Amino acid sequence: MENCLMVDKLYKYYGPLTVLDNWNLTISKGQRLVLLGPSGAGKTTFLRIISGLEEPSSGVVNSFDQKIGFVFQEPRLIPWRSIKNNLLFVNQNGDHKQILDRLRLTGFEDYLPSQLSGGMKQRVNLARALITRPDLLILDEAFSSLDLRVKASIMEDINQLWLENKFTIIGVTHDLKEALYLADRIIILSSRPSQIIEEIRVDLGPDRSFSSPDLLKIESQLIDIMCSIQAEV
Amino acid sequence: MKSFFRGFVGIILFILIWQLLAMMVNKSIVPAPVETLRLLAEFLFSAQIVLAAWETAWKVFLSLLLVMFIGMPAGVFLGLSDTLYDMFRPIIMVIQAVPVISWLSLVIFAWGIGWKGPVFIAFLSLLPISILTTVSGVRNLDKNLLEMARLYKVPRSKIWKDIYLGSLLPFIAAILDVSIGQAWKVILVAEYLSGGSGLGVEILRMRMNIDFPGVWALTLIAILLGITTERIIKLVLGRLSHQWKIA
Repeated sequence: MENCLMVDKLYKYYGPLTVLDNWNLTISKGQRLVLLGPSGAGKTTFLRIISGLEEPSSGVVNSFDQKIGFVFQEPRLIPWRSIKNNLLFVNQNGDHKQILDRLRLTGFEDYLPSQLSGGMKQRVNLARALITRPDLLILDEAFSSLDLRVKASIMEDINQLWLENKFTIIGVTHDLKEALYLADRIIILSSRPSQIIEEIRVDLGPDRSFSSPDLLKIESQLIDIMCSIQAEV
Repeated sequence: MKSFFRGFVGIILFILIWQLLAMMVNKSIVPAPVETLRLLAEFLFSAQIVLAAWETAWKVFLSLLLVMFIGMPAGVFLGLSDTLYDMFRPIIMVIQAVPVISWLSLVIFAWGIGWKGPVFIAFLSLLPISILTTVSGVRNLDKNLLEMARLYKVPRSKIWKDIYLGSLLPFIAAILDVSIGQAWKVILVAEYLSGGSGLGVEILRMRMNIDFPGVWALTLIAILLGITTERIIKLVLGRLSHQWKIA
């Protein structure tokens, strides 16, 4: 399978602080990878490096000049621009109607971000990432501020869109269920200086439910691993 | 409706206090409101006063335009570069601290009597406010929005139009808010002291004729023109900002 991202001997330092410590990773096109790790483990730093917002201290990151859609933790919408104009800001020729319709935001084109709820703003954040027709969709704790119902609904939308478009997804989260719902591969990180310590395959098929026994089984496996990391720390 | 009523009550209260003052102080110094308003109505039909008001008004507009087209872009550059800001801040502070009267002495030497002096002095008085307010606007810009634009490789012209201009609009409105009243005051003082033409010169003429009701009536004209200019500029700015938002 064609590669979407290759990371080789990646290090990131902030002064004397080592954040990313020798990361090696290959992600194939169309894969869904979620990074799971404690706060301060450099998850967001990693996303910023692969999207070109930050430079690595050393090592190689090759994202093969792909189009990137980034769903930020906070929506980062232009407050004085309508929802439609927020989408067209990143892609003037994008089909905003189709994307808003797909994410159940039809009728809100002319609203300002301040007129929308938190969940709706996050949908617009996702819509803005999708209007660029990305090859790689990055989710930076995109649902952490949402309640479970809204979170589940947006994640279902992402799963559906992934089934239709098969873009690559790389996400970070603290939430095990979120990771299990979205990922084919879960990478578990140690605390800082963070290293990749474990990888888990999630072969659950596209239709997932938070309460399915298979999902719960992998969740308990994940909890054991996370607890053992905490104990080592 | 409630605020209109409150404003109306405020005006009535102001006129009552004025009337009381007129009754207490020498009438030739503080004339009664009725007398001043009668004189004001008379002035509104006087070609000389209307021409003087026009002379002052265009000087105000010119100084505001200079502030907008020189002060604000300068503020943007200084806001974007700490080096430039550190270099120019002392100069701005000096301009801010120099009293109007000192500028006046200088411009009378340089240009003599005429329109250039009042416009230049008003421009210099407003320049520091416009530069420093614009610097604050640029520095308060949401860096996350700029980062988002960088990630999506949005063209620079679009970033300026959609992010910078949008962030600066409230600051531009604030600059105009402060500048309009200030411009009228400074131009009137400059006209009064350095002559030429305009309402300031007319106030000087009335004073020399010991016509205090005339001074008061001209002052009222200046206040009304100041308020009207502020309203017109705010209306135009509001319309432009609305059109820009839905564009």
